[in-house]
Amino acid sequence: MPGFDVQQFRQQFAFFQHHPDWVYLDNAATMHKPQAVVQAELEFYQINNSNVHRGAHQLSQQATAMFEQARSSIASYLNAARVHEVIFTSGATAALNQLAFGLMHTVLQPGDRILLTQLEHHANIVPWQLHCQRHGVIIDVVPLTPDHSLDLQAYQDLLALGPKVVSFSHISNVLGHIQPVAQMVALAKAAGAVTVIDGAQGVVYQQPDMQQLDCDFYVFSGHKLYGPTGIGVLYGKTTALQLLTPLLGGGEMIEQVSFVNTTFNKLPFRLEAGTPNIAGAVGLAAAIHWLQKFNNKQLQQHKAELLREFYQGLSHLKAVDILSSPVHNAGIVALNVDTEHPADVAELLNQQQVAVRAGQHCAMPLFSRLQLPGAVRFSFAAYNTLDDVNRSLLALEQAIEILTA
Amino acid sequence: MTLEQLLADTFPVLQDIQQTDLAQLQQEKDWQSKYRILMQLGKKLPPVPEKMKQPHLLVKGCESRAWLMHYHDKVADKHFFVLDSDARIVKGLMAIMLCLVNGMSSAELAKFDLCHKFDQLNLKPYLSQSRGNGLTAMAERIKACC
Repeated sequence: MPGFDVQQFRQQFAFFQHHPDWVYLDNAATMHKPQAVVQAELEFYQINNSNVHRGAHQLSQQATAMFEQARSSIASYLNAARVHEVIFTSGATAALNQLAFGLMHTVLQPGDRILLTQLEHHANIVPWQLHCQRHGVIIDVVPLTPDHSLDLQAYQDLLALGPKVVSFSHISNVLGHIQPVAQMVALAKAAGAVTVIDGAQGVVYQQPDMQQLDCDFYVFSGHKLYGPTGIGVLYGKTTALQLLTPLLGGGEMIEQVSFVNTTFNKLPFRLEAGTPNIAGAVGLAAAIHWLQKFNNKQLQQHKAELLREFYQGLSHLKAVDILSSPVHNAGIVALNVDTEHPADVAELLNQQQVAVRAGQHCAMPLFSRLQLPGAVRFSFAAYNTLDDVNRSLLALEQAIEILTA
Repeated sequence: MTLEQLLADTFPVLQDIQQTDLAQLQQEKDWQSKYRILMQLGKKLPPVPEKMKQPHLLVKGCESRAWLMHYHDKVADKHFFVLDSDARIVKGLMAIMLCLVNGMSSAELAKFDLCHKFDQLNLKPYLSQSRGNGLTAMAERIKACC
């Protein structure tokens, strides 16, 4: 296979042609979309638009076929055992909300425990809190070791308390650290827990194999996988999905409705109330088709090279405090400049057209543990170049100079 | 430290910012110099002691926090302010906001258009650039004082 040509890869993103002066390193927030995705969404609206699953006409049948084809492509990408194991949601947050709501009473009874980790972002904390508090379910949290890894010994000790559900992220959205998910799933299953993986940052790093990983649920957002915003996936094993009480009612999710009782449709429709984001699903499938034209190993190697260069450059800068480990890192570097506020660092980078995120990255419990007001986050994607790395380092050097003068 | 002391210390600094620093900020050509001045402005203001940063004084931005304290001298009908923020650039920009309204009467404050004034000073980009930086929220909080 020929080597990876980053310029050729980057050319497929019209965004960069419109913003040649910007260095975009906010990929953990959202990624840019290749032309193939933009085109697929556009064509759907221009040529194929109709509602799905309900029209009495051929146009609706065509739209339905495209929508279901998208589901099938995604199921195949995830190596799901059945196509109906892919539930479309608006994103990872919506999927986690469905899980937290849907597992109450069926799996979680008052007095039961669930297990989260200190690394989670708010979407994998707050939905559980909302429902656990109301139903008397206890939340335990896996702590971190001094080097900001998950404490796996503590994880096993907490599993011994018998949590009914264990939910953790594949990759930390703040630090970029890759969690040992296969090992964590195996341990949780051995303890008899339902397993949930938040793949928001993980899905772009590694094509997740559901049958190999063997987790009960895996969630992600399309826009962090080169796809559109407003579409995401709740993957669940058939038996696990059947445990879920639908969060939303209405539309295609019912079978029979009366004011006495309502019976629900079969999977996947039972969990997809209302008109779905049809164009979004088509766009996400297009993103996956497009991505599969490349060798993911090469994309990750390129990103690893960018990361190496970035760390190398950081080592020459004074006053930089790096929170992310370069080992087992998926392409995210969180750092601070001395005791300067991350918002100031980010604003000085913004002035130099370097896009990063600053703050607590929707992970307040993590920063409370780190005893920091936040951090500046540089997150890399395969379309970033060595020039991006060098320019961001120069901009950071200039920011440090202004701040510490 | 009491609010009276803080007000007494802050008032001349805000006056000084309005009389000298604003003009200097206007004259600077490159962004580096402008930002150096903005950060100096924040430093000039006396810091608010941690104990006085009560939750109800907090003006939330997405990324940083700021605190606004206000005193209305009812006899003279004049409004005075004290400010702190954990981010220096935001604090500098907020100091500019405050120096524009410092000592105003209720009627003056009510009709004062902060956005328009920022525009005149060529500072509008800082207001609109990031609604998350708390400047809009600060502008609303200041207006709510009258």
